[in-house]
Amino acid sequence: MPEPGNRIEVRAAPTGPRVPTAPATVARGDRLVAGYLRAIAAIVRKDLAAELRSRELLGAMLVFSLLLILIFNFALELDARTRQTVTAGVLWSTFAFAGTLGLNRSMALEVDRGCLDGLLLAPVDRSALFFGKALGNLIFMLLVAATILPAYSALYNVNLFLPGLMGVVLLGSIGYVVVGTLLSSMAVQARTRDILLPLLLFPVVLPVVIAAVRATSGLLQAVPPEEIRGWINLLIAYDVIFTAVAFMTFDYIVEE
Amino acid sequence: MFFQEAPADTFNYMVLGFAVILGTMGLHVASLLVRFRNLRRDLEVLEEVQSPGLNQDRPAPR
Amino acid sequence: MEPMPRTLKTLNWLTAALFVAALYMVFLYAPREAVMGDVQRVFYFHVSAGWVGAVAFLVTAISGAVFLARRNPKWDRLAVASVEIGMVFAFINIVSGAIWARPVWNTWWTWDPRLVTATIMELIYLAYLMLRQGIEDPDRRARFGSVYGIVAFISVPITFLSIRFFRTIHPVVIGSGDPTAEGTFDMTPRMLQAFLFSLLTFSLIYMTLLWHRVRLARMTEHVEERRMQLTSA
Repeated sequence: MPEPGNRIEVRAAPTGPRVPTAPATVARGDRLVAGYLRAIAAIVRKDLAAELRSRELLGAMLVFSLLLILIFNFALELDARTRQTVTAGVLWSTFAFAGTLGLNRSMALEVDRGCLDGLLLAPVDRSALFFGKALGNLIFMLLVAATILPAYSALYNVNLFLPGLMGVVLLGSIGYVVVGTLLSSMAVQARTRDILLPLLLFPVVLPVVIAAVRATSGLLQAVPPEEIRGWINLLIAYDVIFTAVAFMTFDYIVEE
Repeated sequence: MFFQEAPADTFNYMVLGFAVILGTMGLHVASLLVRFRNLRRDLEVLEEVQSPGLNQDRPAPR
Repeated sequence: MEPMPRTLKTLNWLTAALFVAALYMVFLYAPREAVMGDVQRVFYFHVSAGWVGAVAFLVTAISGAVFLARRNPKWDRLAVASVEIGMVFAFINIVSGAIWARPVWNTWWTWDPRLVTATIMELIYLAYLMLRQGIEDPDRRARFGSVYGIVAFISVPITFLSIRFFRTIHPVVIGSGDPTAEGTFDMTPRMLQAFLFSLLTFSLIYMTLLWHRVRLARMTEHVEERRMQLTSA
């Protein structure tokens, strides 16, 4: 209970029809936002620090991605001509599969080490937890992309370093990671945790794959911008919609 | 004077299609009936076991 | 165990009668299509089944949302019941679509946005059930099911739009492929009537089956409780 004259509160619990003066509200609002962002940053830092020490996640994702590209090389005839049309698909298939590895491990580590329970006890909005994990996953995914793109470029003599392409990778990864983090937080608590995430994720994340592949392909083949813009819009819409959905539903997953 | 072509003979496919549609619906309804029947049987058994004759010290459950 | 309510009994009869009437409309009232022949009649139930599949999915999503808000288990029971029925009818939609496609476009599968989306919906249903199966705590199972139901349902229209946009830019050539393979034929008034009537009939079939399935779920829980009572005695 705040004492008279002291209007600073730590939690944003609804407390009925009081009307604080404007400066106090703004100050409190700023404090809350800062607290929220600090929580997210803390979780990201924790994940990155843990990964730096063990390097199991990134290592696995990277090796897996490179192996996938190898398999694709023999599975599809990546001669100079087909490469044009198939590169985008190969890249995004790789991202999608390697991504599930990262998502699974990231959540499993939380739950297995008991970190999740600890985090849930912290006096911070549950959604901060979600954004923290999602941001961490996004960073990992972008790191993998940062390795795969140059590798693929070198192996197949394709210039993948177009700014538009980077943008598509970012937008696609955001959509993938947002839904993936949400679903992995559920899948990890099931008995069949490893196999379950791809089953839950892939049908839902299909629009991202479709849009990202078409946008990437369009950029690589220097297609007129109007077509690409449609796919970019789709990616943005998907990202916005599912970030909102995840924000609203994550609480229900981790309430205990 | 050209006659209009007769429609393609797709009668067999129609039969196949409806066989699938009606068959699947029928199977589903049948599964519901079977499950209802099994439950009723289970309930009977449970009620028999819980009858006053076997549990003297407990009142018959509602 | 409560007896079947009278409304449901009436509904049973009504639905059965409508179904017989629909069969009449489809086989006798509607004319034979001029180009495709008899197989076109499959279309009436094919689309109606697809409609039921989609509605069932919507019901599951909404039911899940209400469960999360109110926490009354009856909403979760409704969600699961709807998924089961939706799966059956989505399956009918997909297979009847393939059977219709074969003689008309000389291929079992057309990458038609609606057909692909229906298949994805079926896969989501399956994933939904597998998620639930893997979770032991009933409350958590219900919560997770609800969340996934909502998330997955929202993704379906977006997926449909993506595929359609994809098709307008990259018409897929399959077999003797008519790339716009979306069932283009002209509907005479009688056909339209048969179609609308089928839609109505299937909607009622859905509601009837849903009601029965919910009753089944309630009864199952009731029996489980009794069993628990017994074993804990």
